[in-house]
Amino acid sequence: MALGLFLAVAALFSSGCGDLSNDELNRGVESLSALAAQGQLVASGVARDATKSTYARVMSRTLGEEAEHEAEKLADATLEEAETEDQRHAAVAVAGEISGLLSELQTYPGDEHHGALVQKHLEEAQEKADAIVAQLSGDAP
Amino acid sequence: MRKEGEIYVVHRLLDEQICDSEGRRVGRVDDIELRGDPPRITALLVGEGLYPRRLPGWLARTTRRIVGPETWGSNALRIPWEEVDELSSTVKLRKKAEDLGLGEGDDPGRWFVRRLPWN
Amino acid sequence: MKVILKIALGIIAAIGGFLDIGDLVFNTQAGALYRYDLLWAVVLGTIGIAVYAEMSGRVAAVSGRPVFDVIRMRLGFGFGLLALIASTLVNLLTVAAELGGIAIVLELLFDAPYNMFVVTGAIALVAIVALLPFGGLERLFGYGGLALFVVVATVFHQNPDWGDVAHGFVPSLDSSTLYLYFVVGVFAAALMPYEVHFYSSGAIEEGWTEENLKENRLNAILGYGIGGVLSVALVIVSGYLFHPLGVEPSDLGTVALPMQGAFGETGLLLALGGMFFCVGGAAIDSSFAASYNLAQFLGWEWGRYQGPRKAPRFTASWLVFLLLGIAIAESGINPVEITEYSVVFSVVALPLTYLPVLLIAGDRSFMSDHANGRIAATLGWLYFAVIIVLSLAAIPLLLATNGGGG
Repeated sequence: MALGLFLAVAALFSSGCGDLSNDELNRGVESLSALAAQGQLVASGVARDATKSTYARVMSRTLGEEAEHEAEKLADATLEEAETEDQRHAAVAVAGEISGLLSELQTYPGDEHHGALVQKHLEEAQEKADAIVAQLSGDAP
Repeated sequence: MRKEGEIYVVHRLLDEQICDSEGRRVGRVDDIELRGDPPRITALLVGEGLYPRRLPGWLARTTRRIVGPETWGSNALRIPWEEVDELSSTVKLRKKAEDLGLGEGDDPGRWFVRRLPWN
Repeated sequence: MKVILKIALGIIAAIGGFLDIGDLVFNTQAGALYRYDLLWAVVLGTIGIAVYAEMSGRVAAVSGRPVFDVIRMRLGFGFGLLALIASTLVNLLTVAAELGGIAIVLELLFDAPYNMFVVTGAIALVAIVALLPFGGLERLFGYGGLALFVVVATVFHQNPDWGDVAHGFVPSLDSSTLYLYFVVGVFAAALMPYEVHFYSSGAIEEGWTEENLKENRLNAILGYGIGGVLSVALVIVSGYLFHPLGVEPSDLGTVALPMQGAFGETGLLLALGGMFFCVGGAAIDSSFAASYNLAQFLGWEWGRYQGPRKAPRFTASWLVFLLLGIAIAESGINPVEITEYSVVFSVVALPLTYLPVLLIAGDRSFMSDHANGRIAATLGWLYFAVIIVLSLAAIPLLLATNGGGG
């Protein structure tokens, strides 16, 4: 059993990238939307002066790094279905937008005005990401 | 529990914790020596040298490579049954551990223990 | 009166000591993904740990045997060794996850590098263990963890649709593998075996006898039961806030967001403070459990009450487990991921450590009048069946869902 555990761990940690299927592209954009949603909650804490600045800073840094990582993953992979190229471009742009907004929050974790602004823009970014998801799943034009 | 009469050897004695006369935990019953007909318990066998006996096939070989071959008086000790005082939640011995060659692993005189930062 | 007070304090410590990083992570994720649908699995796991802990505590108090003593007695050397190796691997992952969790909370509070806090956090733990007696350790972290009652307050502040919440307590199965994975995860997070191994060894550390049986039952039922309320609250606040927004909690810091939303900076600080004590206490419990298990299996002298001089191998092995935990936590793997593996693998190893306790607890030759009665025996075997099913399902589900990544 111990050997089984090791093998399972090894298999999990090594599960990597490669071609990007439609499904994976979809999931990538969904996690961008989730990151934007989480960012909004952090930003709303800043906007209402209802947070600790170290917390807001570290959270926005972590979330920003995750958005960047997502952007790199989306940009680097080869698409399995060429017709989703437009959506991929749009997704990379949204990811960049989200990580930019989060880095702004990271710079001003104690500024209520910036917080409110970032919150609003993250909301817009999330809407964009959701629109891309809708296109990919064929629910929208 | 009495130490005379019949004992469920595997149920109550094998693998049991051994404590010396001062209550120190000094090892477990890794094997049991039986002699005679009908068999009687003549000794408890203790020590890491006995672990390979308890394991199957390649595991036994691998373990023997780690603990070394069974060497009586060193990694395998024989505790005569007369030295057992009482069977309760542990096997209690009549003597102190060092008089029976036990408890060496936690003995402050041993090189490994001596080198620990708090000794 | 004094006895009642002592028992009450023990229960309070058990409540605070119930939660660890696994509960924080899995319950928050379960709420975000499935709103209140998995509440029943939290309850199932909480009753499970109460059953297991009550039996182990009773066996320790009556027969003087902690869990790995019982394992070696009932499984023998070979299978006992298998249980030891599996438990030790899981414990190491858990130690690493908890040390990582301490570092994340400190990072969120002080904004200094994670890697530095892993080491300083571990050094602080060694200092605390060196300075405080066993009972003091349990109380310090147990009481500190009570700050997490802010999560319960958040539930009432959010005032969710109580009908929906109640509906979550009705078991439901969904055919999606991710849902099933979370059933296993939420159950296993509540029933982390190291907590029980620590608890039963703690009973010996504190010299429990048959006179402590009432205390044992109250600790297991009330202490873990109210601890389970905290887990339920974590699922609800996350389900209420994160589920509609589509948040996927991937960081420990996310766990504190609902409390910030409800009570601002005070809520945030209470949540982070409570998390710190819970995770810190769990780091001590899991690392001690690893050393208890090893020492008990091999027959070494053990126990915090013996001190490092009388139990040198036990103490040295504890430091080694802590160092290995630091090494894993510093390896750069996200502590949330380490947590998921530690929780899921813990349920795989669980039957091997649960069965011997169940057998001895029902054995009159060890337990005389305190052997399992009809209720304890029924519950005990019922849970053995549940644990077997979940432990067989755990690894296939982990692989099928790509580690809960969907």
